[in-house]
Amino acid sequence: MTGVGVIAPPSLDGMRLGFVLAEDRLGHYGEFRDFFVRTFDLDRIGLSRPGFLRAPSGVTYALVFIGRSGDAFPSGVEIHAVVPALEPLEEAAVDRDLWAILRWIVGGVGGAWTVEALEATGQLFRIPAAVEGLA
Amino acid sequence: MPAITLPDVIRQQWLFAPRFARVNGWEMHYVDEGAGDPVVLLHGNPTWGFLYRDFVAPLTEAGHRVIIPDMIGFGLSEKPMREHYHSLDGHIANLTALLRGLELHRITLVCHDWGGPTGLGFAFSNPGRVRALVLMSTWGWPLPPAEFHIRMFPWRMMHAPLLGPYLLGRHNALARRGVYLSVVDRARFAARAMAAYESVLPDPASRLLTWVWPRWIPMNDAARALDRFAWLERELRACTLPALLVWGREDDVFDPAIFATRFKHLLPQAEGPHLVTGRHFLQEDSGPEIAARIVDFLRRVP
Repeated sequence: MTGVGVIAPPSLDGMRLGFVLAEDRLGHYGEFRDFFVRTFDLDRIGLSRPGFLRAPSGVTYALVFIGRSGDAFPSGVEIHAVVPALEPLEEAAVDRDLWAILRWIVGGVGGAWTVEALEATGQLFRIPAAVEGLA
Repeated sequence: MPAITLPDVIRQQWLFAPRFARVNGWEMHYVDEGAGDPVVLLHGNPTWGFLYRDFVAPLTEAGHRVIIPDMIGFGLSEKPMREHYHSLDGHIANLTALLRGLELHRITLVCHDWGGPTGLGFAFSNPGRVRALVLMSTWGWPLPPAEFHIRMFPWRMMHAPLLGPYLLGRHNALARRGVYLSVVDRARFAARAMAAYESVLPDPASRLLTWVWPRWIPMNDAARALDRFAWLERELRACTLPALLVWGREDDVFDPAIFATRFKHLLPQAEGPHLVTGRHFLQEDSGPEIAARIVDFLRRVP
């Protein structure tokens, strides 16, 4: 149970997109790109709108997909927290949400990519959210 | 370019005058000490010139000029903010710009990690400038990759899409824990050196190359740099330069039984491999011993 799920596009009135993470080379391992294409129906939707996720903290995150000439779409992705326009991000909560989103992505990619291997990697490098998961 | 403040414990060990050169559109930091035939010391991911702090005095006292560049993207050099800036060819061109700009000849190249492919790329495209090679925990051919680089845990997981920017970017995992895990004397490293590698990568954007370099390691026939690595291997096979191989006995990234042995096969004239105490970052555990070996080797090189 990751507590992460795809949601319909929310109203962005009074909100802003707070940049938190970017990937320039989503196709480095093609199965990651395939996961996003499959999950967000990107072959049909293309660049028309971001994908949206609800994270464990309750914050919504927008996934803004990037196209690059010569590369399969999407070539990259930015993750933005959807937050009240004038309010600061809560850094520790964002970090825990990102870890949960990464667990969700790895679980969705599947095959040789396992949440267990991700957890072990996070613990090896003492990533706070991964270490908290042990408690 | 934001100024980087080195912690006191690091500055006390790194007393060399900072120098900067404009190379290939970027500001490259380097150290230039001593006089004589030049020895150019090349680091890899995610380190910088500090890795060679114990080499400067023995080499200069033995009559060598010591040049230690920080790769663009690391150390005190400028750090591009887009993944697409970085390529193996681009980094070879950066090094070429520096060494030609300094008008260096009779160069001994000391190559570690990504300093191997970049240094060898310079050597084989500027053969009239190079006198000798010293190779440590590196490689110079397309395939197969190291067993370490095939494993899902931790290697592939730590630089995968989005995971790399999170683990190595937001959390500086390679400079913070990765180097620590790849030395033998971890307590000494933590007390004396770890801050050097963490402090020069102060924010996620500055750490870009720590997850980009792993993506340039050829894993199969579709790899981006496959042709360049194939060229390196052909050139190695034809290379007659004097060479010295030094490897960490405990190296679990580039296993000496495989990688040092393959270099010895390609460069049968090479001395060694000499095994010293060390994992991948062998300079941290055996810097003075390796420096002494290089001094001794160069005494015998015409």
